[in-house]
Amino acid sequence: MKFNKDGDWLAKRAEQEDRHFISVGGLISRIDPEWQADVSSVPNVEATKTAFVRLLQLARRERRLSLEQLAQKVDVDLGELVKIEADESFKPTPRTIHRLAEFLKLPAKKLMVLAGLLQVKDFGLQQASVRFAARSEPVEDVSPEEHAALEEYVKFLNEQ
Amino acid sequence: MRETIQIINAKTSAPVDAEIFDEVALTHFIETQAEWRPVILAAARALSQQPNQGLLIPRHFHWDWTRKEAELKLLAVKFYGLAHEGKLQGIMKVETVAHSCRLPEQQGKPLVYIDYVESAPWNIKKLMAALGQPQRFRAVGTRLFEAAVLQSQEEGFRGRLGLHSLPGSEGFYINECGMTPVGRDPHKQNLLWCEFTPEQAERYLAGE
Amino acid sequence: MNPKRTMTLNLTDQEMSVLDQLSVQKDLSKTALIRQALRLYQLVDARITRGEKLFFEDQDKQKAELMVL
Repeated sequence: MKFNKDGDWLAKRAEQEDRHFISVGGLISRIDPEWQADVSSVPNVEATKTAFVRLLQLARRERRLSLEQLAQKVDVDLGELVKIEADESFKPTPRTIHRLAEFLKLPAKKLMVLAGLLQVKDFGLQQASVRFAARSEPVEDVSPEEHAALEEYVKFLNEQ
Repeated sequence: MRETIQIINAKTSAPVDAEIFDEVALTHFIETQAEWRPVILAAARALSQQPNQGLLIPRHFHWDWTRKEAELKLLAVKFYGLAHEGKLQGIMKVETVAHSCRLPEQQGKPLVYIDYVESAPWNIKKLMAALGQPQRFRAVGTRLFEAAVLQSQEEGFRGRLGLHSLPGSEGFYINECGMTPVGRDPHKQNLLWCEFTPEQAERYLAGE
Repeated sequence: MNPKRTMTLNLTDQEMSVLDQLSVQKDLSKTALIRQALRLYQLVDARITRGEKLFFEDQDKQKAELMVL
């Protein structure tokens, strides 16, 4: 087997490994019948919901809109918009989703799934959502990377 | 298979020789249970006092030894050990038949599935930090992971790899290794299925 | 890796055709595919010998036992 002999590669990988745990769930989930994966404790669980919030935030900031301005523009309750961005467990109303979908020019049904109003087992959507959420961070200015991530995600949502 | 590779001495930061091999015997497992478990449990206790550590440890490790012995003989299963000066530092179990690719672009194609991978607790920085003890070796998990990718290439699977990440490890596999998070598996307690395409595997091996 | 020995395989046209088709589908060489088949056979056989059963489950969650080996 051709293992990498480069010392720099090894140092970099060691650095990465030290920042994390690397356990996998295959065997572990089979050998202890009482063991439960506590997935709820992980911030990344609702990948689609996080992606939904980021999508809104980026789209709003790209257009230089405050929450208040966005609320007025799409004619939805400001309080609801605030809750969407601030509270991960909050489920917006279908009407709000439809208005936002129109504003974002995205399929309403897709947005319903992202917001947690519809349950659909879509691995591709989950995958794209996790990637997008990982590449977009809530900071003030939309960076070129975020812009690219947003464009890619929007394109993906529109394609299906 | 038995090869000499380098891991890193955590104290000196210098690379040291270690052995990676696939002739893993039952005694290796027994050794890991006797030595590793108490340290892991102690560290878990220490860690559980701190919030959000993302470490999930099964409370009991009911190894079924007769089954392990039978599995050691299966062609579809491979166990890897990594040892330094004869002492086991890491262990991994991979399978080549029970799982296949789930990413749409390579759906159904064979992959190497990492069923189990563990570095000895004294090599895990976060665990040792919780116990206030020094880390011994670094990059042990990396070498085992690398072996799985290389096996996939040697098998003709072109580097395709799959695993169910535990919640605390998702960041490692997605961000550091560059695997694609495909989705949560309802048949596996909603653990995240992560997968390598041939290109991602190449990038990992090359260091990108 | 382990030292290997060579074997000649005599297959019918139909068998060869299936082998070709699966190779392409799985992006595997014919040798690798046969190797996978052997592994799968051994794994299934080991479990059935232990007394376990192998089932297929259809979309409606109906189980049908696979009679094998």
